[in-house]
Amino acid sequence: MPDPALSVTGLRKFFTVKRGFPRPKTVTVRALDGVSFHVGEGEAFGLVGESGCGKSTAGRAILRLIEPDEGEIAFKGENVVTAPRSRLRVLRRKLQIIFQDPYASLNPRRRVGQALIEPMRVHGIAGAAECEARAHALLAEVGLPANAMLRYPHEFSGGQRQRVGIARALTVEPELLIADEPVSALDISIQSQILLLLQRLQASRRLAFIFISHDLGVVRYFCQRMAVMYLGRIVETGPIPAIFDAPLHPYTKMLRDASPVPDPKVKVVMLRIEGEVPSAVNPPPGCHFHTRCPHVMPVCREAYPEWREMGGGRGVACHLHTK
Amino acid sequence: MTPATTPILVVEDLVTSFRTGGGWHPAVRNVSFAVNHDETLAIVGESGCGKSVTALSIMRLVPPANGRVAGGHIRFAGRDLVDLGEEEMRTLRGDRISMIFQEPMTSLNPVLTVGFQVAEALRYHRDMRRRESDAAALDLLDQVKIPSARQRFADYPHQFSGGMRQRVMIAMALACRPELLLADEPTTALDVTIQAQVLALLAELKAAYGMAMIFITHNLGVVASIANRVAVMYAGEIVETAPVDEIFVHPTHPYTELLLRSIPRVDRDAGGLSTIAGQVPAISAMPTGCRFAPRCPHREHACTTRDPLLVPLAGAREHQVRCWLRAPPAEAGHA
Repeated sequence: MPDPALSVTGLRKFFTVKRGFPRPKTVTVRALDGVSFHVGEGEAFGLVGESGCGKSTAGRAILRLIEPDEGEIAFKGENVVTAPRSRLRVLRRKLQIIFQDPYASLNPRRRVGQALIEPMRVHGIAGAAECEARAHALLAEVGLPANAMLRYPHEFSGGQRQRVGIARALTVEPELLIADEPVSALDISIQSQILLLLQRLQASRRLAFIFISHDLGVVRYFCQRMAVMYLGRIVETGPIPAIFDAPLHPYTKMLRDASPVPDPKVKVVMLRIEGEVPSAVNPPPGCHFHTRCPHVMPVCREAYPEWREMGGGRGVACHLHTK
Repeated sequence: MTPATTPILVVEDLVTSFRTGGGWHPAVRNVSFAVNHDETLAIVGESGCGKSVTALSIMRLVPPANGRVAGGHIRFAGRDLVDLGEEEMRTLRGDRISMIFQEPMTSLNPVLTVGFQVAEALRYHRDMRRRESDAAALDLLDQVKIPSARQRFADYPHQFSGGMRQRVMIAMALACRPELLLADEPTTALDVTIQAQVLALLAELKAAYGMAMIFITHNLGVVASIANRVAVMYAGEIVETAPVDEIFVHPTHPYTELLLRSIPRVDRDAGGLSTIAGQVPAISAMPTGCRFAPRCPHREHACTTRDPLLVPLAGAREHQVRCWLRAPPAEAGHA
């Protein structure tokens, strides 16, 4: 395997929050608890899991939008965590992020043209005239009309705003795009438009992706490899479609089987009703998943399973697969 | 139609309009359908297609400030809800017709206990005393499988997780054993594993109570797993309706067909993903003729001039399609 574009090792981030009423208690949310993965050049890597599993925190920690407590992040050999401000600025040109709701990340008082030109000016990419020309080219590339330059964010539909968000991320010519649920808020017909656009960009610009999503169908379609997270840890990683065809971790299988399929002959596996599912505030001892696992063994309640490489680029943390 | 299959709800030519920019525009236009006892009808469509407005119209909960049911009939157990006074409607709502919503936190009162809220409908509609209604509410919380329901009875909504709150909402909605349950995107805000649990619970309770359910969703995967019949809405109209097995095998309206091919599937490699060009027209700028025509790859001249009708396909009365090309009225064999 060639050198990965990005490698993340032992990433950890705990949040301390006050919770409860009327007597708040201080609790620790173990959002990221030793997360490691790598993304190849031009590769789309999926990070999947349910809410609160830490997937978005991972995306933000890589850009140091949230400072990680511990761990290493290397982009093309350069350490992102220890980079001084001046280097971080250069690194952030190469690593960009798009969000689920681009509206929240666009200034409502600024025209789209300004939103596109500003990052180019900040990073000193080109002079005023060239910036404008580049902005026009970007709008065309993401499928927006040229007159979008002079319009405000509120004048666009959700799908178009996501296109604006993508165009803005591309202004600084990144090599890796962190896409945090980029199509989750969109209608199906618009979702497929945006997925095809991202796929085209991946090919034409050789963009690598960290594609964060709770939708396994979308990840299967868009990514080449993926990691499944549960309560702050990666429980399984592997290439697509192998990880779908034969999931190793019971949680991966549960997620796959619970995902609805538009075919009445393929019934969703209706799951046994559970009470409160554990959260990253109180991960159960041993394997975090043991409270929900259909294959739970005594050892699962005591020790967190060690990570094990399984060949074929796959890996899993589960006692079913330890020797 | 035989008496055994007399529908509990018949909606005929429903028109619900909203005021925008000084004029009234229909958000739901000539929608007709029926739901039987012990049947789940899924209404599926993208945002703004009118699926939620249809449900709010049935509940008579269209905000009166800028919306109104402008035409049609909503016949529930023989009575037309459109003509019903608000007082009479209140006796039906939460008793014989109930509704659950996407975000349970906005429908639950944060300062009242869960148990109190579940029992409320029983006190209001059944004149139960506190002790009696509390016992019934506890039983309901058990039925929706809230663990240690007795201990959680006096908890407040914020102490419950999203999936548990939705189950509390279901318990509230089912308190009076309604004949019709309207479920508006009840699992959309939930994680997939929790969604699967709530869908299983709804299916189980629907069968146990024999109630009719209208399940509103944008997710065709959820439709496939819960519905008996499906109505696909686009721009305020039903464009296709059929039994669930039929519509997924023979999607006939170009919109249904494209929609199904636009979904990345978890169970197999998608190959090429279809897209639907353009976007849903604004309520105040609906095209003439077929409303899907501007986005339709099969569009012909006739499509943009005359409104297509929802007609049964030849040889399949249950399968109705609104499309000049795929379901021409002549072929359907009825004038």
